[in-house]
Amino acid sequence: MKKKVLATLLVGAMAASLLAGCGTTVETTGSSDTTTAPEKTQTTETAEAGEAGGSDVSADITLWTYPIGEWGNAETVDSLIQDFNKEYPGINVTVEYLDYTNGDDQVNTAIEGGQAPDLIMEGPERLVANWGAKGLMVDLSDILDDTDKSEIYESVLSACVNKEGATYEYPLCMTAHCMAINKTVFEEADAMQYVDAENHTWTTDDFFKAMDAVYAHTGQTVGAVYCSGQGGDQGTRALINNLYGGTFTDADHTKYTADSAENVKAIQALVDSKAIGFDASIAGGDEINLFRQGVLNVAFCWNIAQQLNADNNDAGLTNDGDEILFMAFPSEKATDTKLCGGIWGFGVFDNKDANKIEASKLFIKYMADSAEGTPDAVLSSTYFPVRDTVEGKDLTGLYGDVQTMSEYSTLMQYLGDYYQVTPGWAEARTAWWNMLQQVGSGADVQTAVDEFVGTANAAAAN
Amino acid sequence: MNSADVFVGLANYKELFQDKVFLGALKNTLIIVVVSVPITCVFSLWVSSVIVDLKGWATSLFRIVFYLPVVTGSVAVTVVWKWMFNNYYGIFNYLGTKTGIIDQNINWLGDERYALACIILILLTTSVGQPIVLYVSALGNVDASLVEAANVDGATSLQAFWKIKWPQIMPTTLYIVVITTINSFQCFALIQLLTSGGPNHSTDTIMYYIYYSAFKLYRYGYGDAMGVVLAIMIAILSAIQFKFGNSND
Repeated sequence: MKKKVLATLLVGAMAASLLAGCGTTVETTGSSDTTTAPEKTQTTETAEAGEAGGSDVSADITLWTYPIGEWGNAETVDSLIQDFNKEYPGINVTVEYLDYTNGDDQVNTAIEGGQAPDLIMEGPERLVANWGAKGLMVDLSDILDDTDKSEIYESVLSACVNKEGATYEYPLCMTAHCMAINKTVFEEADAMQYVDAENHTWTTDDFFKAMDAVYAHTGQTVGAVYCSGQGGDQGTRALINNLYGGTFTDADHTKYTADSAENVKAIQALVDSKAIGFDASIAGGDEINLFRQGVLNVAFCWNIAQQLNADNNDAGLTNDGDEILFMAFPSEKATDTKLCGGIWGFGVFDNKDANKIEASKLFIKYMADSAEGTPDAVLSSTYFPVRDTVEGKDLTGLYGDVQTMSEYSTLMQYLGDYYQVTPGWAEARTAWWNMLQQVGSGADVQTAVDEFVGTANAAAAN
Repeated sequence: MNSADVFVGLANYKELFQDKVFLGALKNTLIIVVVSVPITCVFSLWVSSVIVDLKGWATSLFRIVFYLPVVTGSVAVTVVWKWMFNNYYGIFNYLGTKTGIIDQNINWLGDERYALACIILILLTTSVGQPIVLYVSALGNVDASLVEAANVDGATSLQAFWKIKWPQIMPTTLYIVVITTINSFQCFALIQLLTSGGPNHSTDTIMYYIYYSAFKLYRYGYGDAMGVVLAIMIAILSAIQFKFGNSND
């Protein structure tokens, strides 16, 4: 009898657990204010202490970093931490290296399991628009003093601060994402006449003429609108938005506008081009590999780190030795191109441990806001600093006479709006490549884009 | 820490069966199960029947060959298959165009007409290893004197197999069917590594959609609900298979 009762209770408990569904529509934004406020006072004191010496702080902290240049390389990061430990010997930093394929899953799983890292290195779309918006991050406004505010570019800083004024990312470095062409093949195809090689720009008309010329020369797909996942999706967004002057979101970052006539026209033009294919079997990383292998002659996923990459050949060359020329995305006037920016920096998860938060802030101040640590930290990223000076030290000549870097810096004038902080960003990113897959499968462009915008705006409204 | 603590009752389940993507994933999962389970069982039984009577070293060699994909990491397996299916330089396209079977390269994993079939093919190669090892072992344990007696009495090879060997390997078959069914229902790594459910959701399975909902869209409760539905489906099918297997005893 007892067994029956026990079995009944167990079955009942299991049934109840099945019914205990969990919702995802209710926001808990209030927790952000209530959890971060007390830390503010405490860490302000710490930051001040840190500036006055602070070497007596003792804590074990964890840093998770995405592969931002050499910040994904253990040897480089170990060296940076060794320098940090000379000033702060009591702070032990353990590093975990993430990749862009599984990194978000690892972080989200850790968050769910209450095992989030203390520090994380990435961009505002994650630190501000995602984890910050969910109230998981510590407000870093207290370590952002007036000197920092005057030194850090305003456009960068605004992306790191949410609408309520909370700073969820302390920025370190930035770049402009661009595209690249196989210059050698373009020359063979007589397509360089359509390219302004000196300014690295071209018009939309010239872009399609060049594509046709290379296609006629090689008889193969010239470029691929990759869409198997979100990896490198800034490239497809920038390509489509720039062709006819479309935008991805509104200026206030409140809603998605990819269903505009300009964007639909751009997608349709890409669909109609024989030289360009929609490929649902590759993502940005695969596209880069195919470009380096000489299979594709245009890469829509490119930046300075790729241009400097010398894994398989000298920097600036494909595996077969063809010359790679980085280019801004084509636009109607060529000079009105708007490039997607990448901003990377540090955020601190609110793990309710004041000592660790304190230590994390000291780490950030050393790496991103000190004359001693910041130059090496930026150089390790292989990107550009987010300020001309750090605590008075000049950073403009950071890369010395590295010609590629100074040449690449000409693209920085085309940095566009940092719209990745629009609410619902994670859902919008996923819906974007799904939309491209639909288009690539033959779906009507307007219908697919309307569906995408509907999904993205629904996520933004939640 | 997040919004996962809001009780919504049966709302997730209600939404589930109105979600076209979930229904598509359910359909794909069932296709994978219906196609791969019988093929895996029949193919592995046929291979085992052939190799069990070979010399010892030959039987071992074939067992190793067929078992190799099972012990090879799924990432390594998928990297090789991804290369073979590559749209631009894959060996299938190369051979297909060279022999004139296809006019132009096919984007095997990027075309919704072929992607699921490619997944099933790869799944088969990684699924047959264990059943073959089990069947070889089971066939090796069949009482040889009974088979010899049947042969003396004039039974054909098929009759000897069906009337003598088959009943004796029935428990092994039941185990293989159940395990293969469960593995097919839980097909995830191949999807994640090869297609991410695309193109256009044509290779979504329930397992992948659970992951997608929970870790891409951050809808953990919704993912949980799908997990419960999947568990119930596997439990019901396993019960039916056991019932069917026992009734044949």
